[in-house]
Amino acid sequence: MSAYMGKLLYIDLSSKTSREVALDSELARQFVGGKGFGAKILYDLLPPGCDPLSEQNILMFMPGPITGTLAPAFRGCVVTKSPLTGTFADSYFGGHFAQEIRYCGYDGLIITGRATEPSYLYISEGTVEFRTAAGIWGFDTFATVEAIRAALNDDTVKTACIGPAGEKLVAFALINCEYNRHAGRAGTGAVMGSKNLKAVVLRGSKTVVPADPAGFAAAVDQAYSELAENETIRSFTVGGTAGSIDFANDEQLLPTHNYYNGQFEGASGLNSEAQRKHFWLRNVACAGCPIACGKVGLIKTGRHKHLVSDIVEYETAAMVGSNLGIGNVREVAYLVKKCDALGLDGMSAGGVAGFAIEAYQKGLITAADTGGVELKFGDADAVNYLLEAIASRSGLGDLLARGVKAAAVELGGKAADFAVHVKGLESPAWGPRSVPGMGLALATADRGGCHQRAFPILYECGGEWEEKPVDRLGLAGKGKIVAHLQNYLAALDTLVKCDFGQYGVKDVTYARLLETAVGEAYDVEKLMLLGERVWNLVRLFNLREGFTRADDTLPPRFTGEPLPTGPYAGARVPLEDLSRLLDEYYAARGWDSEGRPTAEKLKQLGLAELPKLIDIT
Amino acid sequence: MFYLRGEFDLCTGCGSCLLACSNRAAGGYSPRLARLKILSERENLVNRPLVCLQCENPFCLNSCPFEAISRAEESAVVLIDKDKCTGCGNCINACPDKMIQLDLNHRADKCDLCAKDPLCIKYCVPGALKLVEKKGVA
Repeated sequence: MSAYMGKLLYIDLSSKTSREVALDSELARQFVGGKGFGAKILYDLLPPGCDPLSEQNILMFMPGPITGTLAPAFRGCVVTKSPLTGTFADSYFGGHFAQEIRYCGYDGLIITGRATEPSYLYISEGTVEFRTAAGIWGFDTFATVEAIRAALNDDTVKTACIGPAGEKLVAFALINCEYNRHAGRAGTGAVMGSKNLKAVVLRGSKTVVPADPAGFAAAVDQAYSELAENETIRSFTVGGTAGSIDFANDEQLLPTHNYYNGQFEGASGLNSEAQRKHFWLRNVACAGCPIACGKVGLIKTGRHKHLVSDIVEYETAAMVGSNLGIGNVREVAYLVKKCDALGLDGMSAGGVAGFAIEAYQKGLITAADTGGVELKFGDADAVNYLLEAIASRSGLGDLLARGVKAAAVELGGKAADFAVHVKGLESPAWGPRSVPGMGLALATADRGGCHQRAFPILYECGGEWEEKPVDRLGLAGKGKIVAHLQNYLAALDTLVKCDFGQYGVKDVTYARLLETAVGEAYDVEKLMLLGERVWNLVRLFNLREGFTRADDTLPPRFTGEPLPTGPYAGARVPLEDLSRLLDEYYAARGWDSEGRPTAEKLKQLGLAELPKLIDIT
Repeated sequence: MFYLRGEFDLCTGCGSCLLACSNRAAGGYSPRLARLKILSERENLVNRPLVCLQCENPFCLNSCPFEAISRAEESAVVLIDKDKCTGCGNCINACPDKMIQLDLNHRADKCDLCAKDPLCIKYCVPGALKLVEKKGVA
């Protein structure tokens, strides 16, 4: 017995067939789950150069072997090839959907092909139904969930669905996993839309049983006490991630006016105190999570009175708030909920809207393009117009729906100078100009501009590394830090951890949870090796797709334009600094100077001659 | 007598109670096999814990044709004797809160209050589940 369910479900939408595939024991041993399974299966099955929106692309929903147990704060990920970046994409979601995959009896869902008409999948207690979505095509994500529950006469099914943006193949469309929980980044929703797949609906009641139930229960209790004793975790319970608004603003990391600066005069209107005052009613949690970083409520006053809103978490509070010059959290909550309903990634949407507003200011977009709507910072109605135009791909929205990188190419002129992205993924809400380690983390994140693969800011802003203070603006040693963090988090992304849980749960406890769940010995060293293996395999995928050292870079706004004012005025990450950071980072990874894993490194990681570990023929 | 009380204003919907309960009841983690439920209402604005109240006038007990359901003497908890239960489903049909379901052996299964030390409460970090005493009922 082990916590694995022992099966993957393979679904071909083109032929309307599905098949249970036995979980290869070597796949489990070497890649564990989540990101690891996704990386190996995508590498094995996807033809190189495949169009992400073609029927060949593969869309996976991957929990990990701990997901669905009592262990605190585990979730799942969507893995596919991104239509926004062309890279490997893994996008993580909370809620209850990943757990339900396990209760349905699977260690993952692998979906390929394209349905001939709008469809949804209903997977229930061992059966797979291909159902028409003709009646719900065009519905927003909230209406979709309600309609499916009504059609099945079951309020307890778990749904992952797309909104209109996914149907229209917006390159940064998300997959909604009920409610305010999303596989948000890198356009997974467009891949789902390209498959004519409106929703995946689950209902299962199989049990997840660890290999060593008593040992696992003890590790669970250990993890619970580590969370209870941790101050950062307590701050998530009290104020969610919105608490980071103040931190980011103080440290000049908060994107403001399309990343022009890192401090926003209206930041106190967006933080957790402002949100509590204006709408919070109670804490809300994902499955099996005692942290409960969500804070749902009803907006008390103003034109959005009575609107149900979950917390405006840090990333969207910043990207749709400060980055667009909006300091009224009720307006931001409305706009972020609109993104959720339309099925747009709020982070990219904020980046794209900021880009569009700046383009308007600089005359690259005019009132003739917007149907007369004036685009300016601080104007929630202008942003509302942009979101609707993007999701419906009408007018200017059709251009912006491709993301800032493609839109900048189309607009030409100086547009690329203020298109803030890495590899096409709009940057997250952590401006890196005064934290070069973070710059390196963004430049080398596998799916493009992402803060979740390594977050060296914690060390650069007053932290210590190996018991020595870290020089915030310095370069030396940052490559090693980033490589280490990426390996560790990649390991935990095979489990699949929540980003916030890992602030409290210790590395030895994760190892203990894993070994008692799957029945194979793990220690921290072996976890680190697992993470490095997964990271290198994803690198091989991206290299195979044609990415090179030149793509491990930052946008001109971060490399060429210094922070204009404030405590870190003058700071930027010049390209020559980035190059030094990359040299150290590649060396720390055992990669050559072009960022390619050496034969020796691949051999050490067991990747040199690894056969395919999934048989779908 | 003792019974569980669930409070919607404190419940976060995490379902750790369901996981702990199902592991004890069914030998593995699976929320649908737990002996309590959590409802989601209004776009998840509300999570409402639904628990067995160990009723004073238990429909389940009254509707059982096989005398498989009884009230424990000291704790007053309503218990199912799995040896007497035939899985006929009368109690399942009778309980308005759907607090009884068939277990993996097709016998009726319900909350036994874990001998007055409920596991669900142990893992309810937000404190939304409480053990409450009702005086004067036996």
